Amino acid sequence: MTVTTTAPSGQVAARPTAPPPRRGLSRRSREAVAAYAFLAPDLLGLLVFVALPMALAFGVAFYKVDGFGNYQYVGLNNYRLMMHDTELWDSLLVTAKYVVAFVPIAFVVSLGLALLVRHHFRGVGWVRAAFFLPNVISLVVVGLLWQFLLVEKRGAVAALLRPFGLQDTSFLGSPTFALGTYVLISVWFLMGYQMLVFLAGLKDIPAELEDAAEVDGASTWQRFRYVTWPLLRPTSFFVLVNSTIGAVTGLQAFDLVYVLTRGGPARSTSTVVFYIYEQAFTFNNMGYAAAMTTLVVGLLVIGTALMFALSRGGRFDED
Amino acid sequence: MSNPQFADRTFGRRTVLRGAFGALAGAAMAGPVLSACGNDDKAGGSGKSGELVFWNFYGPADDKNPQSQWFVDLVAKWNANNDVKIKLHYLPVKEYLGGTQLQTAFQSGQGPDIFIISPGDFLRYYNGGVLTDLTPHLSDDAKNDYIPGVLDTRKVDDKIYGLPMEVEPLALFYSIPTFEKAKLSEADVPKTWDQLLDVAQKLTTKDRAGMLFETIPGYYQNFTWYPFMWMGGGEAVKDGKAAFDSPAVVQALKFWQDSINMKVALRKPLGDGAGNINTNMVSGAVAMQQTGIWSVSDMSRLHKNYKYGVAPLPLPPGGSASTDMGGWAFVANAKGKDPETAAKFIAWALASTDAEGVERHRRWNTVVKTNLPPRKSVQQAADAHGTFKTGALQTFASQIVPAGRAEPRLPPEVYKPISDAIQACQLAGADPAKAAADAAQKIDGFLKTYQGAAIL
Repeated sequence: MTVTTTAPSGQVAARPTAPPPRRGLSRRSREAVAAYAFLAPDLLGLLVFVALPMALAFGVAFYKVDGFGNYQYVGLNNYRLMMHDTELWDSLLVTAKYVVAFVPIAFVVSLGLALLVRHHFRGVGWVRAAFFLPNVISLVVVGLLWQFLLVEKRGAVAALLRPFGLQDTSFLGSPTFALGTYVLISVWFLMGYQMLVFLAGLKDIPAELEDAAEVDGASTWQRFRYVTWPLLRPTSFFVLVNSTIGAVTGLQAFDLVYVLTRGGPARSTSTVVFYIYEQAFTFNNMGYAAAMTTLVVGLLVIGTALMFALSRGGRFDED
Repeated sequence: MSNPQFADRTFGRRTVLRGAFGALAGAAMAGPVLSACGNDDKAGGSGKSGELVFWNFYGPADDKNPQSQWFVDLVAKWNANNDVKIKLHYLPVKEYLGGTQLQTAFQSGQGPDIFIISPGDFLRYYNGGVLTDLTPHLSDDAKNDYIPGVLDTRKVDDKIYGLPMEVEPLALFYSIPTFEKAKLSEADVPKTWDQLLDVAQKLTTKDRAGMLFETIPGYYQNFTWYPFMWMGGGEAVKDGKAAFDSPAVVQALKFWQDSINMKVALRKPLGDGAGNINTNMVSGAVAMQQTGIWSVSDMSRLHKNYKYGVAPLPLPPGGSASTDMGGWAFVANAKGKDPETAAKFIAWALASTDAEGVERHRRWNTVVKTNLPPRKSVQQAADAHGTFKTGALQTFASQIVPAGRAEPRLPPEVYKPISDAIQACQLAGADPAKAAADAAQKIDGFLKTYQGAAIL
């Protein structure tokens, strides 16, 4: 249908006022195509750089690979080897201790920082940037920096501890302190990133809810406990899962260990990822390393599923 | 100021979709282009046709240091006179020793045509079937020119698979100003283990440790610990069986443990390890440290006026002098593009007996680096220049080297239990006797199924 109108200038023009009937995809289909088009680059990346290597690693785990291009099919032998490999279980224990310490500390510290810089005040941008700054530094540089600060007897930290007679404490050279030190350095490195995630979560909480609670006489703690905390559930779940996976397989699980301690002293910081690396590149046991990788992936899937089940994936109760 | 091209332009869903598909297509086209970037030498053994790739951690380095320049000159000289060219591929030392590139290259069949290895890594590569026999390319004169014993850890069944560039013995380095400040003289330089602990205690202050042994786990730490095991007659492997569970091993483990327990040695060296004299002794962090002959050239290059002394490693009661003589060797990849030419290059580079070859080797060992030359003719040429007549190098040549022993070649499965025992005793207070027994058990378990070349 067309309508003829008269233009103010007196010119007459015929204009379509309704679209002609369309053929082809429905609006819903077109939106789906658009969505997939947007997702495609990411999916492609995941497929090529994550899924494919994972599948290959799973396949390699059934071979003895000597590091010089020779493959020998050994069936489940690499998995059987794991049962008797005490160093693997020791390194899994080190990783477990690291996760148990790092994840909650990083969670609390970054949430605390996010609450601290949540509201606007003069210079808030600078403060947020300062907290985030460690995250933009290469982990190798972070390792070297802390190595320098933690030099026993002569480092900056030793100087601070001198009045207490603790300048001889070797934070990276003693099995008692090395893992704890590694946890604290990891927290320092990652707190800025997690703080930003929490800040995004906090921004999503409607201000009226907290205002209403305040009007109702709720204290600061009560407002946090009964309004902010429950509404942060999806963000908290994301941070928990993300930092757990990062603690087991992320960059800090290898790069930091490699630069700071090489798994020492006395294997006290030999994480499972570091042990896998040793098996692959020091012992040339690439098949065994691949088998251990699949074990770690399996454990992470189970861990994530457990977290998902316990927290309902961070969904709100009414969802 | 905005770009007029984009002024007043609105973006509809179709525009975005068109853009997205275009970007995808572009990415697909760009993929091969991007992956070609930075791949000029294919980073492996497969350089251009007629070109062999030589991986090393010396050159060409950005700072064009003398060692790097020696490598560059070496290859330039070969390339000027040969049809098959050599191309250097430099990796930073940390990446070369502890990184993934070398192993990944071999696994993918792209290993370098020529590369360098230490005795500690010999068996891994020999047993992997990637070392070329160099013997056919060496004249009898060249073979006889090597100092007896120097080639042993590079040989299998009398065939030579690697030619050493250098011999690097270990010694005790000490700071003369620090000794003087503590009112100690040269006469106090420790000759026994007990003396070392005692002197180290006297030199330890609130901001300095008396002694430094390596504490970072790895091949280098094992390398520096072996002499203390040998001094008491200990061995890791003897006659194809584990010999690690012995009193000599236990006392060596305990000695390093005592140095930490008495708080006279650092638990963690500064910089990249205890082989770095600059970041440790010269910085004032330690008064004495165990390091190698390479530190002499570091000192003359970086701290010409710093007074220091060199002494043989102290002995246990009733022990005999010993030191570990490391050193890197050129090897040719048997699965490379042209192993024969690679072997010829190595023989020419390191075993030429003509005047030019001897001078080239002398320069490496005594000018751009300080090592003991592995060849008699090169040693004579160095002597003619008076290199080992004075100072620290004289001490090395006259007092330390005579008790030297080639760095052992142990497979990773033997190196690792030893490393764990050293670490557990030195830094975690483990019982040395138990640690030695545990390590011996692991080594024995491995040796029962080991089928590679002889462990030396």
